[in-house]
Amino acid sequence: MLRVIILLAASAPLVASAEECYSVDSSSGSVSFEVQQAGSPFRGKFRQFGGEVCLSQDRATRIDVWLDPASVQSGTPEIDAALKEKEFFAVDQFPRVAYTSKSVDVRGSTQLVHGTLQVKGKRHDVDVPFEVSRKGGTPIVSGTLKLNRLDYGLGTGEWSNTKWLGGEVSVELKAALSAK
Amino acid sequence: MAHLRNTKESYGIISQALHWFVAVLVLTQLGLGLYAANLPVSLARLQWLSRHKSLGLTILALMILRLAWRSMNQAPTLPDSMPHWERRAATTTHWLLYVLLILAPFAGWLHASAAGLSANWFGFFQVPDLVSRNPELSDWFKQAHRICVALLALLLAGHIGAALRHAFALRDGVLYRMLPWKPWRTT
Repeated sequence: MLRVIILLAASAPLVASAEECYSVDSSSGSVSFEVQQAGSPFRGKFRQFGGEVCLSQDRATRIDVWLDPASVQSGTPEIDAALKEKEFFAVDQFPRVAYTSKSVDVRGSTQLVHGTLQVKGKRHDVDVPFEVSRKGGTPIVSGTLKLNRLDYGLGTGEWSNTKWLGGEVSVELKAALSAK
Repeated sequence: MAHLRNTKESYGIISQALHWFVAVLVLTQLGLGLYAANLPVSLARLQWLSRHKSLGLTILALMILRLAWRSMNQAPTLPDSMPHWERRAATTTHWLLYVLLILAPFAGWLHASAAGLSANWFGFFQVPDLVSRNPELSDWFKQAHRICVALLALLLAGHIGAALRHAFALRDGVLYRMLPWKPWRTT
């Protein structure tokens, strides 16, 4: 009897922290951004992204995601082409944007993920408020972050002018996770 | 004497002011649009196209004012010396100019809206979008904008040419109707 109790007590934390990892797929999510151009919001998205999100009881334990900056789509082909050039993403040299979590703080229904964002060879610590919901059993994660594009060299030379092209970029991510 | 409203003989100062103000803006706008449209994606293109949008919206607003004022005022009569077909051509040209000066900025506004490149009027306020983003529609409106502008340029050439002919060849006083002073009347 005592052994059973000890066994149960010992395994309880294991059950509670059972981590499940899922994959993030471009086909079941979206990554969009918004920046001010000439005082008006300008929006676009990235069509290719992926990675892994691990959850434990719907709390994020690990996030490791990437996106392909060459998949940027704003609706205007000339602008997309310019965004791939060296003044912006320099996709030939830096084909990946990556975000990796370091730790997660839980605050009510929101989780604050502390992690590192790497864009164009530059790394900065970025906190992402993160939410996990369920739709028919499938976990859906979403998050938003704001960043200063100049921290990552997004817009060099004349494009470092933030009066005409805003410095702050907000990014919205949403993805339905699929079991690995 | 200067008069606010139009008379049988000439346009009033309100009509004249609107006409010449819009004339200067439209010529500026044509140059600006042509210049900016041929720039590669750059800060200069962003800046000039933004100003182009603001100016276009100004022209649109002024044209609506002009049409409203025109609807409350008669146009001065044309001289009896003009053949019937010329009078018809003049009246038709004037109305087509009104229509195109509304349609060209309107198509431009639709193009910017559909392209997701909304306007902000000279940095003072955000201009609402007319349609939601749609790249195909955006291309369509861009073509419509270009066609309107091409027709407008043709009609303007005719309009200016005719005004100069009235002033210097016919000397029938038709141009004076739109001028606040009468420089050649006494000679």
